[in-house]
Amino acid sequence: MNITEFLKVFEDVAIFEDKIILKRNLIETVIYLRDNFGYNVLKEITAVENDDTSVELNYHLYSSTDDEDLVLSINVSNETESLSHIFDSASADENEIYDMFGIHFIGNEDLKRLYMAEGWVGHPLRKEYQDDDERLDWND
Amino acid sequence: MTELKLNLGPQHPSTHGVLRLILELEGEKILSCEPDIGYLHRGMEKMAEKLSYIQYLPTVDRIDYLAGFFYSELFCRTVEKALEIELSDRVRAIRVMMLELNRIASHLLWTGAFLMDLGAVSPFFYAFREREMILKYFEKITGQRMMNNYFVFGGVRRDVFDLDDVDEFLKILTPKLKDYENLITENPIFLQRTKGKGVLEPELALNNSITGPNLRASGVGIDFRKNDSLYCGFYHEPVVLKGKDAWARYKARIEEMRMSGCIVRQALEYLRKDEPLKQKLVNPLKMRLPAGEFLSEIEAPRGLARCYIKSIGEDKPYRLKWRTGSYYAVNLLKKLLKGAYLNDAIAIAGSLDIILPEVDK
Repeated sequence: MNITEFLKVFEDVAIFEDKIILKRNLIETVIYLRDNFGYNVLKEITAVENDDTSVELNYHLYSSTDDEDLVLSINVSNETESLSHIFDSASADENEIYDMFGIHFIGNEDLKRLYMAEGWVGHPLRKEYQDDDERLDWND
Repeated sequence: MTELKLNLGPQHPSTHGVLRLILELEGEKILSCEPDIGYLHRGMEKMAEKLSYIQYLPTVDRIDYLAGFFYSELFCRTVEKALEIELSDRVRAIRVMMLELNRIASHLLWTGAFLMDLGAVSPFFYAFREREMILKYFEKITGQRMMNNYFVFGGVRRDVFDLDDVDEFLKILTPKLKDYENLITENPIFLQRTKGKGVLEPELALNNSITGPNLRASGVGIDFRKNDSLYCGFYHEPVVLKGKDAWARYKARIEEMRMSGCIVRQALEYLRKDEPLKQKLVNPLKMRLPAGEFLSEIEAPRGLARCYIKSIGEDKPYRLKWRTGSYYAVNLLKKLLKGAYLNDAIAIAGSLDIILPEVDK
């Protein structure tokens, strides 16, 4: 992929190690990469909580024709745009992140508690999450 | 016509564990499918944040109990990447042999279980008979039939021995696969149940992040073993079929078993040289990963598996994430079952080779 050409189109982009760090325009960037560089697979979305409780989302794109990987990274506080209308698999990843981190993806209609029970309080992979739920008393 | 909501699972025998599908039916036609998962959620990712690396190592086999070696290898590989450990050729050959034997065992179980879903009982026993030989060998080497916990950071727990057992298995593998094919592949009932059922177009598969034999049965030749440094020096070619349907997914797995047998044979040839086992093991009690993000991937029997570790220099991961193939296959069922008939639902779901511990993590 030609990075310089890519940087001309999108401002506010930084490159750190093997990641492209975005501040905005996630959907436009993904569509641009899909249409111009053939990144047609979203392998996964990983979420990591930062020290300031914001969450870093990494979008692992893959080009099936060129066999190349690319990571887009974006920091979000508690809501962001959904990619579910571009990649069907994004819907599944976003649902998992909603369940585990409590991030709302605007535009994804299918968000629900996935692994945790309906009505569960808190999001388990958050660092401040306390697993002292009284429903788990049978563990002792 | 009246609409009906049907609850399929989670205790249905052909949902391979605890998959629950909520189907909306009009007559026998499926209008919509909503998978409900989470019955087997063990919090593998949260658990990782509380255990040290060596404490977490035995649990990773449980992510996919039919292909435990793959997740073991994946976790070890990510840690080795962080610690910059290079594997010796003999360790690589041992790992490749174990992984590919595990892949054959996993596909054999799938073949039996899939045919059982469709109502054919005898292939199940045949497949288990052959799988037993692999499990016996695993037991001899690792002490466990499943969930072996055999790979460690930087190597393996002990050297392999009794290689003649593997040789004996390879000798029967080809004729037995031929037997299966005579019994199943052109069987008219099997053809009617699977031909043209659950057609998965390559675009839909890629958009849904489907990998592994399911994708290759749709005509896309992506196999992540190709760029895998572990498989470097082993001849291997991805099995690509054009059929796109449930039958092609069955055929792809049968062909893949042949290919795996070929890789095991090459590994075996190398191991017969009887070199001493050289490995640089780390002391797990003093082990700290350098701060940073580490990611590695492997072609598991059910598609691409990935492990992501973020470390802040402690003896535990700060965050660990698994990517598993079955999770996306379950999500695909929403699309694939829409418009299909109820009697095909089991055949389509079964052909995707979903395993629930991998979905729920």
